[in-house]
Amino acid sequence: MIYRNIERHASRFKDYTELRIHENRSLGIQILNGDVLSNNRESGAGVSARVYRGGVWGFASAPFLDDAAIGRVIETATQNAQFLSSREKRGMGPLPMAKASAAHDLSSPKPRGNQEKYLGFARALDAYLKEKHPELLSRSIYLGTLEVEKHLLTSEGSVSTLLVPRTVLYLSASREAKNASKDRVEQGHVFGGGGHFEEHFGDPAALFPGIEAVCEDLARKAEGDHAEAGEHEVVLGPDLAGILAHEAIGHTVEADLVLGGSVAGDFLGKPVATELVSITDFAHTALGAPCPQPLWVDDEGTPARDTVLIENGVLKNFMHNKETARHFGHEATGHARAWSFSDEPLIRMRNTAILPGKSRLADMIASIDKGYYLEQPSNGQADSTSEFMFGVTRGREIRGGKLGRALFDATVSGVAFDMLKTVTMVSDDMRWESGGMCGKKQPIPVGMGGPALKCRIRIGGR
Amino acid sequence: MEHDLILPAVLAAMEAAGADASQASLSLSAKTELNIDAGKLSLLRTTESCRLGLTAYVGGRKGSLGLNRLDEASVKAAAGEVVALARLSPPDEANAIAPAAPARFEEYGEATPDLAAMYDRFKEFLDWEGKALPKTRLEQCSLEHLGSRWFFANSNGVDLRDRTALYHFGGMFTTKDGAKSSSFNYSGGAARSLDKPLKDWGSMERLMRQSAEQLSPGTVEGKFTGELLITPDCLEDFIGSLNGQYLGDGCLIKGSSPFKSRLGQVVASPRLTLRSAPRSLAAGRFYTPDGFIAEDCALIEKGVLKQFNLSHYGARKTSLPKSPNMGGLWVVDPGTETFEELLAKVGRGLLLCRFSGGSPSENGDFQGVAKNSYLIEKGRLVGPVNETMVSGNIGSLFRDISGISRERIDFGMAVLPWVLTSGAVISGK
Repeated sequence: MIYRNIERHASRFKDYTELRIHENRSLGIQILNGDVLSNNRESGAGVSARVYRGGVWGFASAPFLDDAAIGRVIETATQNAQFLSSREKRGMGPLPMAKASAAHDLSSPKPRGNQEKYLGFARALDAYLKEKHPELLSRSIYLGTLEVEKHLLTSEGSVSTLLVPRTVLYLSASREAKNASKDRVEQGHVFGGGGHFEEHFGDPAALFPGIEAVCEDLARKAEGDHAEAGEHEVVLGPDLAGILAHEAIGHTVEADLVLGGSVAGDFLGKPVATELVSITDFAHTALGAPCPQPLWVDDEGTPARDTVLIENGVLKNFMHNKETARHFGHEATGHARAWSFSDEPLIRMRNTAILPGKSRLADMIASIDKGYYLEQPSNGQADSTSEFMFGVTRGREIRGGKLGRALFDATVSGVAFDMLKTVTMVSDDMRWESGGMCGKKQPIPVGMGGPALKCRIRIGGR
Repeated sequence: MEHDLILPAVLAAMEAAGADASQASLSLSAKTELNIDAGKLSLLRTTESCRLGLTAYVGGRKGSLGLNRLDEASVKAAAGEVVALARLSPPDEANAIAPAAPARFEEYGEATPDLAAMYDRFKEFLDWEGKALPKTRLEQCSLEHLGSRWFFANSNGVDLRDRTALYHFGGMFTTKDGAKSSSFNYSGGAARSLDKPLKDWGSMERLMRQSAEQLSPGTVEGKFTGELLITPDCLEDFIGSLNGQYLGDGCLIKGSSPFKSRLGQVVASPRLTLRSAPRSLAAGRFYTPDGFIAEDCALIEKGVLKQFNLSHYGARKTSLPKSPNMGGLWVVDPGTETFEELLAKVGRGLLLCRFSGGSPSENGDFQGVAKNSYLIEKGRLVGPVNETMVSGNIGSLFRDISGISRERIDFGMAVLPWVLTSGAVISGK
């Protein structure tokens, strides 16, 4: 831990104030065709203060942790709030009160390795790929670790310490395609998730079956074809359901975006999906298990609580910080999070998931005569109208209830609040994914999860 | 430590730790930022940042490290750590630092933010928006002044420094009327002064006015192969994909670039000249991150591939010429026709204003959703559309350009025209 006894700075506060001491530490190893393009380590630590006065905020930060710097940052944030409040004269009252206390260090209890071990691990995977798969045109491995450590004190008495690690291994490879319209195809896969390296990886050989699965997918894709453009009956795999929950629903019900004009602002309490669909943004524990990006107290000092977004098809809640909770007359939900010490907290999702249903995946596939099974997303974007887009990098045709040819990379789209009304089956299992970063002024790690969904969706193609 | 002393001390410490070549950079910045959130001026934010970046080479092996603690003990420890990282890596003959060059200092911009002027411009923008477009909501919007100092040095004696200061403005907005919402859109730009009203930065006023007319979009029936009249705002995304899949380090080192053996050949429409212009734009840069003086260059000139966007490492790895700059800061030369003349040439297609798409495949194939866009038929704008997908190929898109507008938008970070191309598959409901 980089800091202790943040409480001793409480006497420096004049207005409502949040003081945060924060460090992000990361490691990045990039190997392309055996060459180590990057063997890097980064750290960025500092202090920030945010002060609320008369309906506006002042914020300041500096890359130092000594008492003088902390005092200067609090003073500057106070002056910034004074500058803005003296001009805006908004005259708003206090924010909703919150007081919480938590200390969580999610470091692995296992003996920790060093960069030599991690680089050796990544190179061993590359060597395996090179030896076992000479047909590959390119091999790429990225191993990235991230530790986010935060210490928070608010003028209302909230005190929180949190250290959350994450480890992501992204492996991709390409080979010649056998379709005349394409000369090569690529397949990637993300391994890892929340937790230190040692929670996910050890002996490189333990990952060889996973690598073989990627190579099998790639070989199938080399003999694949383009999807047929248009609307189709599909099964979305758990990873696509997760990104759907996050991008297409989650963002539209962030209360700041509701105030900004999101279409979801008119849907509270109304049906927006079939009764099979329930979505929750979990704080730290879901269905009895830890979430990949757990949060107990947010960066405004509010206790983080699970937020039911859709229950049995009905839109139930928005996600709030203190200010939007006051605006809507709702309870603050603990969604204010900042990416680095120099960032102000914004409303951010934590662990957003569609809840499992009662169907079996095999039955869902068997129930489709002509359609697609879409398994792996790349990027995704959504809109204030809930119109979304996801890249799909692994998918299969379904013909006569059976899986057929693989698909080349495709893009799917739809309007989420329409598409969720086409969901007719939800699988009885779910999976979390936590390899990506959500972007909204600042990046931030998030968890996304879900079961498989049977629905109708539009696919781009030729 | 005194800032001027840090890099010499770091280079000496890396050498003492066993590096046979090394480079280091130090960036120091101060940001002053005003924010609008959900339509209201909400936050004044001032931040100080620093980053010390170290790269050490030992027998062709490379390691790198970044930190933001500049005390003597942290800096010395970092120098030892980065040499240890380098020793872990396998040797790579392409690893090398920039050759010796004369020391250089350059600068631009107003070093100190004019906070009162920033506030006045922001209020002016809010007032204009409230009166001209009462149903359009600013979701997130910021005006910032970023003052930066950058130092670079390497063990060959390179010593580069600059001081820059720039205003950045960006805003995201949606129009809402009753239960109807438009797709969000955004614009903005960079400038060295606050001379212009913010609504005139980038395409802000044009796109906000378009947003107000996009509340009831229509749909495209079926699927057809049509033309795309791509706006300057959207064109930058496609140039980014061209850079990523055809011109940059990653695709050329990997060998996946469709242009890898086409230097000096025709790869695009003869109407297209694409430049990277770090010396000519408001948000320009003086140096490359690997320690060279950046110069403007044409990557594609009248359709001929003149230059890849390769770093020092990428050039040595591929045995292709190094780029005179770091890419980005794109400029497309103007054409001879007006926007209206280009529009009149379209039989059936889209005015593509924003593209929300997946990452293109290695061969340049792309698919995505046309956002904030308009159907064009027989040379006329029919109206805004939603739920419309576009697919094509990045290389074909630039090869099939049939017109470029005389008008261009100067974003401060790019100067781009409207471009008419064909061959895209457009599919609606």
